[in-house]
Amino acid sequence: MEVAVVGGSTRQILGVYPGKCMELRWVSRNIRSKAKGDKEKRVSVKNKKEKVPIYVSTNPSHINSEELRDLYSACNHSCHRFPKYLGCDTDVVEAVDIHKLRTALSHSSLVVSVFCKPTDVLLFTTKSSSEINTTSNENIQIQIQGLGLGLKDLFQQLMPVTPFNAQLVGFGRAVSDFGLTASIYDVMVIPSLRGMGIGRMILKRIVRMLASRDIYDIAAVCSEKERMFFKACGFGDDILGSTTMMYSRKVSTYDEGDQLVIRAGRKLLLAPALKETSASLKVKNS
Amino acid sequence: MLTHNVVAPSSLCPIVSFDFQGQQVYDKLLFAHNLNYGLDRGGRRKHKSLRLRAGFWESIKSGLLKDDTTQVIETSPEPQVEEPLPEEFVLIEKTQPDGATEQIIFSSGGDVDVYDLQALCDKVGWPRRPLSKLAAALKNSYMVATLHSIRKSPEPEGGDQKKLIGMARATSDHAFNATIWDVLVDPSYQGQGLGKTLVENIIRALLQRDIGNITLFADSQVVEFYRNLGFEPDPEGIKGMFWYPKF
Repeated sequence: MEVAVVGGSTRQILGVYPGKCMELRWVSRNIRSKAKGDKEKRVSVKNKKEKVPIYVSTNPSHINSEELRDLYSACNHSCHRFPKYLGCDTDVVEAVDIHKLRTALSHSSLVVSVFCKPTDVLLFTTKSSSEINTTSNENIQIQIQGLGLGLKDLFQQLMPVTPFNAQLVGFGRAVSDFGLTASIYDVMVIPSLRGMGIGRMILKRIVRMLASRDIYDIAAVCSEKERMFFKACGFGDDILGSTTMMYSRKVSTYDEGDQLVIRAGRKLLLAPALKETSASLKVKNS
Repeated sequence: MLTHNVVAPSSLCPIVSFDFQGQQVYDKLLFAHNLNYGLDRGGRRKHKSLRLRAGFWESIKSGLLKDDTTQVIETSPEPQVEEPLPEEFVLIEKTQPDGATEQIIFSSGGDVDVYDLQALCDKVGWPRRPLSKLAAALKNSYMVATLHSIRKSPEPEGGDQKKLIGMARATSDHAFNATIWDVLVDPSYQGQGLGKTLVENIIRALLQRDIGNITLFADSQVVEFYRNLGFEPDPEGIKGMFWYPKF
């Protein structure tokens, strides 16, 4: 079938967005004591903002598809709107198909990836888990900071974060027709680095790049959980009051066999039947 | 309605009066613009840059690769596709009382003239959008499905009239997600199931390619139309959100 499939290739993207597409940024997070009440005043030691260098890139060649697939799994994010769960009482979604992921990546008009040094990721993973569990946070904080005092760690801290020595921690992509509209998909940040503004940064970067191409009709289809995030980043309901609809015609027992059925996550979608040609229409009543 | 196309590019008018005489040939010029390249380019020299025919390079590429299509399908690691959707087929054929026949042809080749599309958008009452943006959007859409009406006149020397009467397009990442935008049918042809055909064919093509998330944003008056086609509004809490530019 010859479908008019044009545009959206990676080569076109790089040509379309010349100039800087890789940037070094710092994100920070206030360290709070979650074990205690929210209203409690933070002790000055814990009030210090921990700055973490991250690398924001819009270059699709910086993305390793296996690493990306692992990020999807780490964020428990599925490409399907109605994902298949691995068990009946778990909400862990099945892993994303790597071939389809590669296809999707190569045909996404825009990709934004955020990298962070593995040591920093580790630091934050331990920090976040210890915050929740203990009451005497001060000791734990000093202990964790002590991790960085070894020579090897010091050297690693001095090394700049680049996509080649860092771990993929955040991602976002958009598909556009480079004329009128764009859709944003799969914005995600690993759980341990959430709440630091990385997701917002990804979204802002996508919107900025689209706006520079004069595209202001930017849509993002999101689930209930993601809605608050998008709202906080400046997205809202459609001003024209349109309703979002998704194709969900399922197979039923009344359908004849010989139909096209495809699986999309946990749903089995039924394609509309082939229309009869004009020759047969003349004879029959439609 | 028909004159609309002629009046808009003012450079076309001198050619009409200079080179041609007679009503017959007037019709020929108007609707044969897809076939009569020489006249076209001369008349619309000013607008040449904007007259992008979506899918032009693709049609050349597909023409070159036509022989290799079956081989490509066999060797690719992607899941097997069903019988390929024909690119163009006749949907309805009617014979009118004066002997003329009218055919409505569905095409997924993406061969749309932006001026025709602009005129069609005006007819359905949509706000005008810049032509260059329309052209870029058509070029970069995953699929552009069109309906043309071809009216063959009963006289042997009468020309064919080809008119754009419907269009629908979809953008996609070719793997998981697709969004259908801009579904429109000429008001005088509405109510015959043409819009339904347009959308159903796009859905079928997308599903054949294993693209499962098909979304669209429907105005309130067409929600029922899409519901009948198998779309569900806000399924399981999924909603579309739009960016609000802060100026």
